Amino acid sequence: MIVPEFLLKKIYQKGTLKKDDNGVSFELKNILGPGFISGFNFVQINEKKFEADAVIFVTDGTEIKGTDVTEENPLKFRLGQKGTIKIADNTCIKEGSNKIIIEIMNPEAGKVTVKFEDTI
Amino acid sequence: MEITFDKHSLIIDGKREFIRSGSFHYFRTPGAELAKDRFMKMKAAGYNTVEIYFWWKYHSEKQGEYNFSGIKDVEKVLQAAKDVGLYVISRPGPFINSEVSAGGFPLWLIKDKDVIPRNRIGTEYHYSEKYMEYITEWYDKIIPIINKFDNVILFQIENEYANDEMDETYMRKLYDMARERGIKCPIFHNDAAPWGLWADVVDIYACDTYLYINPNQNWRKDCFCFDTLDNLECVFECKENSPSFIAEMQAGWFDKWDGSGYEHIRKDLSDEHINIVTKTALSQGVTLFNHYMCAGGTSWGNIACDEVYTSYDFTAPISEYGVLEDNYFKVKEINYFLKSFGFTNTESSDETAVQEEEGIYSKLRKDNENNCNWLFLRNLNEESKTIKVLDKYESLIKPYDMKICPVNLKLYACEIEFSDIEIFARLKNDKIETVFLIADENTYMYLSNGDKISGNKKDFDNLKFEEDDKITQFVFLTRELSKKTWINNERVIFNADYVAKDDTIALKKSAEISYFDLKHGFSRNSFKVKPQINHTITLKNLDVSFCAPEIDTDYDYSKWKKIECSEFDSLSCGLSDEFTFYKGKIPNNISEITLSARHLFAVYVNGKEILSRNSYKIEKLQQVSETIQIHLDKKVLNKEENELTILVENLGFDKGFSGETNYPRGLVTFETTPKYDVKFSVNEKLSIERGDNRESESPYLAKITGHFDVKFREDEIFSKYLYLKNFPYRRASIFLNGVKIGRYIKRANVQDKFYLINEFLKEHNTIDIVVWQKARNIHGSWDFKNEMKNVIIEVGDEIRYQLF
Repeated sequence: MIVPEFLLKKIYQKGTLKKDDNGVSFELKNILGPGFISGFNFVQINEKKFEADAVIFVTDGTEIKGTDVTEENPLKFRLGQKGTIKIADNTCIKEGSNKIIIEIMNPEAGKVTVKFEDTI
Repeated sequence: MEITFDKHSLIIDGKREFIRSGSFHYFRTPGAELAKDRFMKMKAAGYNTVEIYFWWKYHSEKQGEYNFSGIKDVEKVLQAAKDVGLYVISRPGPFINSEVSAGGFPLWLIKDKDVIPRNRIGTEYHYSEKYMEYITEWYDKIIPIINKFDNVILFQIENEYANDEMDETYMRKLYDMARERGIKCPIFHNDAAPWGLWADVVDIYACDTYLYINPNQNWRKDCFCFDTLDNLECVFECKENSPSFIAEMQAGWFDKWDGSGYEHIRKDLSDEHINIVTKTALSQGVTLFNHYMCAGGTSWGNIACDEVYTSYDFTAPISEYGVLEDNYFKVKEINYFLKSFGFTNTESSDETAVQEEEGIYSKLRKDNENNCNWLFLRNLNEESKTIKVLDKYESLIKPYDMKICPVNLKLYACEIEFSDIEIFARLKNDKIETVFLIADENTYMYLSNGDKISGNKKDFDNLKFEEDDKITQFVFLTRELSKKTWINNERVIFNADYVAKDDTIALKKSAEISYFDLKHGFSRNSFKVKPQINHTITLKNLDVSFCAPEIDTDYDYSKWKKIECSEFDSLSCGLSDEFTFYKGKIPNNISEITLSARHLFAVYVNGKEILSRNSYKIEKLQQVSETIQIHLDKKVLNKEENELTILVENLGFDKGFSGETNYPRGLVTFETTPKYDVKFSVNEKLSIERGDNRESESPYLAKITGHFDVKFREDEIFSKYLYLKNFPYRRASIFLNGVKIGRYIKRANVQDKFYLINEFLKEHNTIDIVVWQKARNIHGSWDFKNEMKNVIIEVGDEIRYQLF
């Protein structure tokens, strides 16, 4: 299924990009429809790419490691549900505008790439 | 016919109409007779509309040439719908998806380098003048046909379309093109998901709702998949003064080459899924729905996209064979109920009728037409639940069940305060009304006079109320009898397997039929079905011949098309069939061939197979291309100039939902080491399709031929299957009287039974099965031929009804 970019951008909750001593975090909200995430392929912040093992996803009060989400162990992501992506690296982010790309897998749609920009 | 609408419903000639529609593919169920059979079955189930995709490629093999004759005569299909009394929702694309090859586009279109299909590359919008010019050609052909029929009530532009920035130019042009060509009815688009896309461009907003798209997912357990459906009313707010329309409401699901089989999907969905999905949509105020699919079909010939195999049964209410399945009877029950009460003018009520509870969904709707409320109750728990309703009553809802319960429904001679006895249908005239109820021991009806009526009843148990010269009668039917109960022109017919439009009764075995109408009450008649002879036969005296002379070294291919460019794929070669042969010469100094081909292929050198491979692979929902290296040595290249033959089977073009319709097929890449420029000549189709019946020396493609007879009788309807019982071979193409009706791949293990499509059946029939085998599975040509004569090919009846 082809999801238009303007809709995908809405998954990112604008203004949630944060940097602290532990790293970087930002929030996502499922506005597309109920479904599963069957993999976190990568998160790219500016030039730096973080593979699944460096991605933490916090949702419904549970902290999940990116590599724990697989086709065999997909993660439910309900319509309207929120989640926070955390990366334990704060050197990748800069003051001003930051470009972020997230690539996740969905069992039905395949690769879903969300691209957005935000400032801190 | 004047078609208008408001926020509640469609209004046809001034009258509100609830649109109960189902999808039907005329190309997958070919011939006007079969179309009429399926339409009558739809009408018998209470549908009032059929949705029809018009498939561009089916009618146009060459640019500028269109064929609307024979089985491609859509006018006959539309006339059949009109004769049966169905409205039509027309969907001429240009893109239709529907799991057809290239999403419906003609191959000449996607081959044209100046064309950008759907004005989109990936997700980016790129306007293509050439593409628009060709759509004009299609619309000029198909719209005048559609315009001949006044029962066409809706027209769809594009299908499941989006682009990154939502540029509206393309969609607005399609809308204008339809209007310029005389389309008068409302125009809509079918949004791939309830996102509200293109609501401003069309007259009525519509969307898909599929909550079961992964047969590995447990839809009963993962009830969160109802999130969207349960909030659909909010989605339809995207378009003011437009009724709620689900252009594709899930009625089943398609299976894939790497799927789990239709048996599994049908069992998994059962009749519970269609019941819950349809009733939940009703609870959200939907007054136009289209069950996709209502009638399954067959991807015969080259219809299928690469994703799906021959059967497109879709676990639809009417199966590929025309069999009425469990979900058909459930839909019939819902449709009869809707027909009885209209349901075209309801509003969501804020009143809390049920306390919140895990797995329980409830919704109260105020009915402005019947001046009552309807309470929708759904239980997605794995055990039955007793629910406190309206602070007064208790209702027991079975697991994965959903009910529509009347609240304060005033009938002629009594008033239902609340009832969880399900209403099957109502017949009424000015003085008498008969309400048919489904008997169920755990259900009750509470009347305003204080009566409590138990649903624990037998067939035809009845109660009568009289007030002010008016009569209300309740008649109970068990669930089993309700399945065999049909309402046709205010007449009820009980205990028939199926009743066609003109009250023709279809029976599998002898039965006593009861009739009821308001004027005459009940009557009975017995029908005796003639004893059935065993209609299953095993084909005898099979002939076997080797049928790929193209592989032979002495084969003359000088008249084949020569490829001048470096692109070998079938589109670049101007070929469109499933099978493509490539032939050329290679010198004996070649040490390696590197190639990729879609999807199944074999390489032969000097008439001997050196590789046979299935390159169809799906990973993470994407097809994975594979490049194969074949090492060659002097044993293989034993001549100075060696003859190379490559046979590629293309399972269809991408349907264009996630990928691109013009992904290459056939021989995609080809190189030799050391580099040598092979001058390929190409031809398409298997030799038997080209009428070349010469016996070949090479045993790799063998044809098994058998014959059977069919007796056609005026008083019978039937559908037949061909069963490849314990078929030992790995790939086969099946032909019925020269028409390719099936693809068999053993590895996929998804289909070994094929529909012998009635349209292609004759009194004397020939079955040809072309088996494509690997060299290592052939132990001597003579032995192989003899072994093949022993395969078991069964032909039998899937259904057979006698008509009265």
